Amino acid sequence: MEDDLIEIDVEKKLISASGILNLHIKTSLNFGELVVVFGDSGAGKTTLLRILAGLTEPDRGLIRVGNKVWFDSQASVNLRPQDRNIGFMFQDYALFPNMTVHQNIAFAQKDKDKNYANQLMDKFGLTEFANRKPTKLSGGQKQRVALARTLARKPDFLLLDEPLSALDMNMRTALQDEILKAHQFNKTTTLLVSHDLSEVFRLANKVLKIDQGIVTGKGSPDELFLNDKISGKVQITGTLVRIEKHDTFYLLTVITGTNQVIKVTAFQNDIENLHEGDQVLVFTKAFNPFIRKIKR
Amino acid sequence: MNRINVEITKVYSSDGIVLVDMEAGNCPMSAMLIEASEIPRWIMPGNIISAVFKETEVSLAKEFSGKISLRNKLPCIIEFIERGQIMSVITLRFGEEIIHSAITTRSVDSMELKQNDNVLALIKANEITLMQQ
Amino acid sequence: MDTAFIETLWVTLKLATLTTLILLIIGIPVSYFMAYSKFRLKPILEALISMPLVLPPSVLGYYVLVAYSPRYWFGDLLSRFFNVHLAFSFEGVLIASVIFSLPFMIQPLQSGLRTLPDSFREASYTMGKSKIFTFFRVLLPNIKPSFITALALTFAHCIGEFGIVLMVGGSMPGETRVASIAIYDEVQSLNFDTANRYALILFAVSFATLILIYTINRKQESWKMI
Repeated sequence: MEDDLIEIDVEKKLISASGILNLHIKTSLNFGELVVVFGDSGAGKTTLLRILAGLTEPDRGLIRVGNKVWFDSQASVNLRPQDRNIGFMFQDYALFPNMTVHQNIAFAQKDKDKNYANQLMDKFGLTEFANRKPTKLSGGQKQRVALARTLARKPDFLLLDEPLSALDMNMRTALQDEILKAHQFNKTTTLLVSHDLSEVFRLANKVLKIDQGIVTGKGSPDELFLNDKISGKVQITGTLVRIEKHDTFYLLTVITGTNQVIKVTAFQNDIENLHEGDQVLVFTKAFNPFIRKIKR
Repeated sequence: MNRINVEITKVYSSDGIVLVDMEAGNCPMSAMLIEASEIPRWIMPGNIISAVFKETEVSLAKEFSGKISLRNKLPCIIEFIERGQIMSVITLRFGEEIIHSAITTRSVDSMELKQNDNVLALIKANEITLMQQ
Repeated sequence: MDTAFIETLWVTLKLATLTTLILLIIGIPVSYFMAYSKFRLKPILEALISMPLVLPPSVLGYYVLVAYSPRYWFGDLLSRFFNVHLAFSFEGVLIASVIFSLPFMIQPLQSGLRTLPDSFREASYTMGKSKIFTFFRVLLPNIKPSFITALALTFAHCIGEFGIVLMVGGSMPGETRVASIAIYDEVQSLNFDTANRYALILFAVSFATLILIYTINRKQESWKMI
């Protein structure tokens, strides 16, 4: 039972421009899960990933992966990143400019298994760029190389720090498929940082919600994000971008998480605590909306 | 949005459709909901919750008689009328609560609505959303 | 006359090449340490390394001479146990030159390493690669311009050294007499012809080295990726 559990209980005091954050993450994950770490920027998501990778040392705590202790401040155990068999994808991809796409991928391999490197390049549509240097690639191509490279050493634990943030919607969907495929292919335990809800619903077996350095929720996306405090079944989160006064009411423009523009009427008492830039929940009853097919 | 305190009196449920009977002051109200899976625990008789409805879904009737399918008929007194070119917003006192109704200015005129009039605020049961407090 | 001319050029070249090689070996680990260490007294070390940039060569030369003197412990040690006398010898000049050129090697390497994103090192570590392997395979190849700048600057600077060589080595033909000193001597003896030849060669070598640096830095692709 304990053998396929990742136990995390770490504390670290983080000092940043926005103040002091006491990170205290206590949770456990099962092997083989695809966990999306969700939270606002500055909540400590990246730090959690770095702590798991051994790149940032917690002030105290314990990390146990199966029956192996990776970090234990009391026993002074702190495995080097080199000894953790992980794949880490950085926000800036960290592709090595002196190496070609193929060399970048081969560099990460433990055994110089040429077949597997070719398989990876094939899978991520990189074969035609194999001999190109990273500076000659587009943003999306770089991200694919970075993803392929993290898989190259067949890691036990995949840590992806906002892997799809720089991509447009189509590319994003395509790469989400790749991540799902990669995960289904070898069932590598994967932790992925995201603050995009559609990504959460698309990818996650489990969501780890982090707020101000503390786990505030863990569960399936449905459990965590279908707001059952409101009976309205149509709920859209978005950013309030404009408030316009029209006659006796206000017209609010909201950009949704999927970049749709929606307009909502509101009245004086609604807008008293609303400001442009706020994150908002737009909801209505399941009875009200009309629906119509636009694409098959 | 309008938000008033109500106490749940009864919950009927059949095949995913839930009808919630409530009381606001002494005025009976109902809300119809879709709950495909389980009814949330906070929707149960005796609980005080919020009933939420949009200003534009509140119709007004004056000197009303006859039968109507609407379940929510709230007796109110007009406190204030904000007239717009096309739409007017009427502030209503409903017991202890204040609610608003947005109707056409044309209706305000044809019904000759004015301050201190007694009116019924009418809301369809399927337009009422419930919120946990 | 011509043998003396060639001898002087040979000493100059030998001094510059050996200084550069020795500094390469010292400079790589030191610049790595300076770039990444969080050592508390690092500013003091940095200041010491940079001293030759601001100190007159005569000051440094004076201290080096004092250190070499058998009247003090270092020179005494050398003279008693190894029978080595560094003052006014090629080896003595070489050591002084290494100290004097230290910042020209360390500073470009150190700032080159600092401009690399931390994620390069970290990514390599997560791929199971050791620090040393990472340094030679990932970091060093990506600071090629800084590397070449460090080599060329050190070399060019050595060729142009005057004050410290004169202080520590004097002007002994075939031993410590380098081109820059020779020019001074020739002018003193009114041999403008020879002085002119030395000057021309020094000018050409320094100019060529700097052109090399600027050409390479321009051609080299930037690592910046986003």
